Amino acid sequence: MTVTAIELIGVTKRFGSFTAIDNLSVRVERGEVFGLLGPNGSGKTTTINMISGLSRPTAGRVTVLGVDMVADPQRIRRSLGTVPQENALYEELTAEANLRFHADLFDVPRKGLQERITSLLELAQLEERRKSRVSTFSGGMKRRLALVRALLHDPELLYFDEPGLGVDVQSRRALWDRILELKERGSTVLITTNYLEEANVLCDRLAIIDRGRLVALDSPSNLRRSFGDTVLDIRTQPAPTEDLVREVRALQGVVSAIASNGSIQVTVEGGGDVTGKVVTAVVASTSLEEIQSREPSLDEVFLSLTGKELRE
Amino acid sequence: MSLRHNLRVVRAVAAADIRLTLREPLFAIAGLIIPINFLLLFLLFALSGGQAPVAVVMNDPGPLAGQFLQAMNNSQSFFIHTASSADAEREIRAGSVVAVVTVPQDFDAAVSAGTRVDIPVEVNNLNVDFTNDIRRALPLSITSFYANAFPEQVVVRALESDVQAHDTGYVPYLAVSIVVAGLMLAALLQGSVNAARDYELGTVKELALAPVSRLTIGLGKILGSAALTAASAVLVLGVVILLIGVHPLHPWEVLGFGLLMIAAFLALGVLAGTLVRRRQQAIPLAVACVLPLFFLSGPFGPANWLGAVPGAIAAVSPLTYAIAAFQHAFHGYQTATQDLAVDTLVLAGFTVLTVVITALVFGRRGVAR
Repeated sequence: MTVTAIELIGVTKRFGSFTAIDNLSVRVERGEVFGLLGPNGSGKTTTINMISGLSRPTAGRVTVLGVDMVADPQRIRRSLGTVPQENALYEELTAEANLRFHADLFDVPRKGLQERITSLLELAQLEERRKSRVSTFSGGMKRRLALVRALLHDPELLYFDEPGLGVDVQSRRALWDRILELKERGSTVLITTNYLEEANVLCDRLAIIDRGRLVALDSPSNLRRSFGDTVLDIRTQPAPTEDLVREVRALQGVVSAIASNGSIQVTVEGGGDVTGKVVTAVVASTSLEEIQSREPSLDEVFLSLTGKELRE
Repeated sequence: MSLRHNLRVVRAVAAADIRLTLREPLFAIAGLIIPINFLLLFLLFALSGGQAPVAVVMNDPGPLAGQFLQAMNNSQSFFIHTASSADAEREIRAGSVVAVVTVPQDFDAAVSAGTRVDIPVEVNNLNVDFTNDIRRALPLSITSFYANAFPEQVVVRALESDVQAHDTGYVPYLAVSIVVAGLMLAALLQGSVNAARDYELGTVKELALAPVSRLTIGLGKILGSAALTAASAVLVLGVVILLIGVHPLHPWEVLGFGLLMIAAFLALGVLAGTLVRRRQQAIPLAVACVLPLFFLSGPFGPANWLGAVPGAIAAVSPLTYAIAAFQHAFHGYQTATQDLAVDTLVLAGFTVLTVVITALVFGRRGVAR
């Protein structure tokens, strides 16, 4: 059995003159929760469509569980579970009818199907609504039902396109719990997201893509570390001058220093020594009112890598 | 993928489509009503254009005048009623008759004497089609009257020999053609709406990601659409058989060709829905396809009577073969140059070809671009 769940090698996808994905190479190992992180329109869904065989790459190769998705996607379709962004549920059918329809499509054995549907619906806290039409469900309930459907045929690999899209905080938390349970059971999960918190909580590794290009690929903690160990938010009175910002930026171990709203935000690597040097420099030229030290966020990582906010 | 799994998917897709259609009454009703409307509109058109309403003022009650009136009735060009001079005048002024024909008081005497008889004809020449009917049919009635009243004086006779075993009226002939067009419209509507729905609602991904062939899904969709199309077909056939009184000579052919037509046109409908991907576009597209094809496929007579260019178009239209086959099923004769086997092969081949093309278009790579 191959240890690689998904492999993209030099994948490019063009729509006419527009390049949606540009020479993307990524490998997802079995048993990991892998995230594709990027702003809207960055190419995440296009990538997931190619991985699930819904779309062909213009160039490059996509293999899933060792199978070439262009040459023979049918072979492993039964091993894949997909939660598309738009849910793809029949809204005028009941929750149960949707699940039974999926069971027919994926040839889930009829024996034990009722029990399996019940247990999955219970897990998703939808059991009481099994006979209700999907059109009466909230956005979060639809997402949960779409996840239940994707798990009904017990796939080896799950694609989840934007788990947190259009759902309230509670539903998002419930979806995360389900994904974390899958992770504990050793399932491979590929998610796309533009919620950094979601990526942080769920993903073992993250590929940050922007305008169809791979910008960074690592675990969330390593990505944050690559940006710097610590972020110092320093408030001064009076506000820091341009000269002070330049002076701090020039210190050894300082990754970046940005002045904003009477404060200076400094990212450092190297721990306490560097922090001490920064504080010394600040108090030498102005009065330090408050200092906070924290880990860098993925937002800041993304901003530093792409020069823009994730959901601008 | 086993045969059992394929059959399970065909059944599931068909059942889901039927349930979804029934839960959207507007589309279901449109699918049933539009073909019936089509049938009734064309029949009204045929009936209204067939015979001109004419008032006859009979100023001579003699037997020859009576024979002349009978000759006019037999011409099948007039819808005649007798009226007084004043009533007839009122009717033509009101526009309720196309013409007033006045049989003069001395008609019998003049005809018997061999002297000239002038028959006043007042025509509302508003619509040249009706006017020409009067202009053509009245001289024919006069000739027919003379041939019957004075056979020794009319020495030129037409000796007719019929190709077909029996005559068929204009309306019964046209009604069968309209039934076929109605079936095509019903199938196109159901097939295209059911296929477009999955694109419109995004559920096409659920189908496209399933471990089954596109052909299997296509067959399921055709079968699902067939149920409502069959309901529509029963309504259309019911109107033609029970209300218009056109009874099929070969009922089993009606059943067999009816099913084959539904399959062929449903396949075309599913293909159209797969291409347009929106139900609101699918409905006008279905109507827009059927109308020109109907007129180009020999609805009023054999397609090869249409002339070179329309005839060539008719030769590649599946509706031509469907109409020819149904004319045989209802009236017992073959209208086209090919026989029933060719009609069957063309319709079956068209079905298979369309299903294959639909399966290709409904390719997974076409679901998400």
